[in-house]
Amino acid sequence: MTPTRVLTPGESLFLAPRRQWDLVRASSYGFTAVTVLALAVALTLLVWQNLPIWGHSGEGYFTGKNWYFRHQAFGMLPMLYGTIAVSVIALLLAGPIGIGAAVFAGEYLPARARMVMKLMIELLAGIPSVVYGLLGILILRNYVYDSLRAMGMDPLSGDSLLTAGLLLAVMVLPTVMTLADDALRGVSPIQRQAARGLGLSQGQSILFVLLPQAGRGLVAAVLLALGRALGEAIAVFLVVGRQDNQWPRFPFAPDSLINAGQTLASKLGGAETNIAYGDPVHWAAVVGLGLILLSVVITVTLLSAWIQRRGEAHV
Amino acid sequence: MCRTTDRVVFVAALGCAVIACGVLLSIVAAIAIRGLPAVSWHFLTEQIRLVGAAGGIFYNLVGTLLLIATAGAISTPLAMGIALTHSYYLPEGRARRNLSLLLYALNGTPSILFGIAGLIIFVKYFGWGKSWLSGGILLGFLILPTVTVSLVERIKVLPGKYIEAAAGLGLTRSQIVSSVVLPQSMSGLITGLLLGLARAAGETAPIMFTATIFAGATFPAGVKESPVLSMPYHIFILCQDSYDPGVSAKVWGTATVLLGLVFLLSLIVLPMRLKVHEEAKNA
Repeated sequence: MTPTRVLTPGESLFLAPRRQWDLVRASSYGFTAVTVLALAVALTLLVWQNLPIWGHSGEGYFTGKNWYFRHQAFGMLPMLYGTIAVSVIALLLAGPIGIGAAVFAGEYLPARARMVMKLMIELLAGIPSVVYGLLGILILRNYVYDSLRAMGMDPLSGDSLLTAGLLLAVMVLPTVMTLADDALRGVSPIQRQAARGLGLSQGQSILFVLLPQAGRGLVAAVLLALGRALGEAIAVFLVVGRQDNQWPRFPFAPDSLINAGQTLASKLGGAETNIAYGDPVHWAAVVGLGLILLSVVITVTLLSAWIQRRGEAHV
Repeated sequence: MCRTTDRVVFVAALGCAVIACGVLLSIVAAIAIRGLPAVSWHFLTEQIRLVGAAGGIFYNLVGTLLLIATAGAISTPLAMGIALTHSYYLPEGRARRNLSLLLYALNGTPSILFGIAGLIIFVKYFGWGKSWLSGGILLGFLILPTVTVSLVERIKVLPGKYIEAAAGLGLTRSQIVSSVVLPQSMSGLITGLLLGLARAAGETAPIMFTATIFAGATFPAGVKESPVLSMPYHIFILCQDSYDPGVSAKVWGTATVLLGLVFLLSLIVLPMRLKVHEEAKNA
């Protein structure tokens, strides 16, 4: 006996007859093809224009600590460091705070208040990065400079990796909160009831049941926020100081964090992108920064999606 | 012991929520307090004077609106095509997953990459120089995942009986798609489009090398060498190299207008999104 089940809309559509020449289908495929083709062409061009640098610098492109384009020296290591440093600072702050806020919204607030908070946060997620940059340049960097001076340190200015990291933390906070909230919502009510049934208090059930159960979703949330932080160009550009060739004495050395630096994305946002086009090697080096950034960010983003999907498959 | 745990967890969560909401709300307040006094009718209708220290942002507003209108016009047909291909025409399996993956990757792509790709393709290969059209196309691709996913989600929750009824009436597949599926899922398209445009309006990185200049552009007359002014780039340039208090007031004013536009675009679709939310809950 064949089991009866309800057809999905997609399936029931295929019960209808199809004309030989189906305009809607043809144009759907057409628009999809145009998109895929355009993206493929763009990516191919980027890869192709990046090739000369590998002949010029080889692996020194990754490991070199000096970038002086007038001397044809292209080493991206300090920029990789800057990118990682600002993102780590941002996630160390935004991760716990965002997750904590999501726990509060989901577990302690009544449904209506939670909805209001969620909508508000989504709205705030839309604040353009240049506006964050403006706040950073006119408010945050003075604040960071004054605070560091008050703590007895002697930074050259308020433009630093630390300032960029703090600004990024605020920027990715809505992303962490929204996705963490979704992850916590995804924990099945049965788990909650079981926890309460076992006599766990509310705090215990949050710590020992809810957070571990939502673990995958929370990791996915933080990874997606990391992807955003790594790729942010404009806001970081405005407050990071854009000082090339800053290599720390040791990774995350405090003095390297309170001084100016450069990230992959902030380099791409700068004037060199316009200057470089005439010189194939210089241009290849600039395009390469973009490609490295792209591969890292897409890896992180897809990893986030993969973790989340595996989490869903378990339920 | 469990009283203590409860209290610690509660206080920690409350603290995080207060910090998060406090910071985000004070950002909006900080901008509004500084920016609102500068915003007036003249600010919106006059053009920029004295390198941003006087006058208004009329052509910046026009430029941003033109860019996002173009982005919407580019991404609408593409999103409809991809959403239908994804939902109906591709068989479930690898091809469909790859299309989702592509949208995911595109959504994650840092916006500066759009700027670099646009610089190569439009500015150099096509020889357009800086042009509003390349900015619009780049922004259109930038928001494509947002628009498509919103439409796909809406198509997914269409009641199957609509399509069965249409098939029962003897409509062909393309007739069902154009007369049932698309009209019924229009709200998903509009939601995604407005959210996408809200994002496009504030983007600087894709247009800074390809479409926008700081001063000296009005309505574009053609495609080649036809840049526009825009609000994000205006803020980006002014906040870097001017400490003139007059300029500072104008920058905050521009930020307020930009923020107002972004919030307006996201808020228009709020009732629609809440309604979908309610329907999903009642279904």
